[in-house]
Amino acid sequence: MSVEIEISPIFGRYTDDHLNITVEGKTIRECLHDLVRQFPNLKKVLLDKDGNLLHAYDIYINGENVYPKDMTKPVKDGDKLNVIFIIHGG
Amino acid sequence: MLTAKELERYDRQIMIYGFGKEGQEKLKKARAFIAGAGGLGSPVTIYLAAAGIGTIRIADHDRVELSNLNRQVLHWEENLGGRKVDSAAAKLRKFNSGIKVETITDTITEDNVSQLVADSDLIVDAMDNLPTRYLLNRAAIKKGIPFFHGAVYGFEGRAMTVIPGKSACLNCLYHGATVPKEKFPVIGVTPAVIGCIQATEVIKYLVGLGELLTDRLLNYDALRMKFTEFKINRDPNCEHCGNTSGR
Repeated sequence: MSVEIEISPIFGRYTDDHLNITVEGKTIRECLHDLVRQFPNLKKVLLDKDGNLLHAYDIYINGENVYPKDMTKPVKDGDKLNVIFIIHGG
Repeated sequence: MLTAKELERYDRQIMIYGFGKEGQEKLKKARAFIAGAGGLGSPVTIYLAAAGIGTIRIADHDRVELSNLNRQVLHWEENLGGRKVDSAAAKLRKFNSGIKVETITDTITEDNVSQLVADSDLIVDAMDNLPTRYLLNRAAIKKGIPFFHGAVYGFEGRAMTVIPGKSACLNCLYHGATVPKEKFPVIGVTPAVIGCIQATEVIKYLVGLGELLTDRLLNYDALRMKFTEFKINRDPNCEHCGNTSGR
């Protein structure tokens, strides 16, 4: 199950500036875990100790908000995930 | 009724299809509440003043610091140490003497937010922290006042328009999540773009043109020079705008 994850450029420092990353997984959790397997420095930035996405991030599948943030939500081949962080600056 | 001077001043926008004198009169009658006179508040107020919004009320409790000047273009070196709202109001009044500019130096709190926005036709969220953004969002929903959200970080920005009772609100978007208020990286061109998007939405809303940025979060990635839209669903259980809320 091949899925694309797009991340913000601010995470480029953890991914050698790769921002569109192909991962394998059948659920959001599996995809995110494959992402941090490929780029281990992302793990402490994105995930809590239980391996769930931190509160400060939202996730979108094919442009649609996933809420509640159900990490077991299935994904299908060709899906695109966006991980975006909550910004507050003005 | 527009004066001869106003007809001349706003001639180019009155020419826009669907805008006309009627649209200009709507702008003239409007009262806009701008929460924040910083990076976003600067372009928002400049372009709303340029467009001829009749009354612009700016709220900000901060004073101008040197580190503001890379992005808060309403404030200049001569304003260092002064109140942002005074600096902003002075420029806007010189820029357009035909509009009314009001200033508020109070901190926006749960106790005063309702009163501060009371007679406004719209609220522009140009704040620098999430708790106050939520306060404004809740007040907007409660009073049925359209709310124009914008936020920036580094070379990234976001915008979304909220029409109470009709579209997803800020709390539907972030579900009450907060991040610590801390010094954040930013370059002036980012709030310039997002602030202009917010001002554009305000003008469209007032005149009644086009499609608003409702139920959609617009994400601006300046480093890749790319805009992405995300679909935001209205949350029926939203504590601010949902049917089950205690509002």
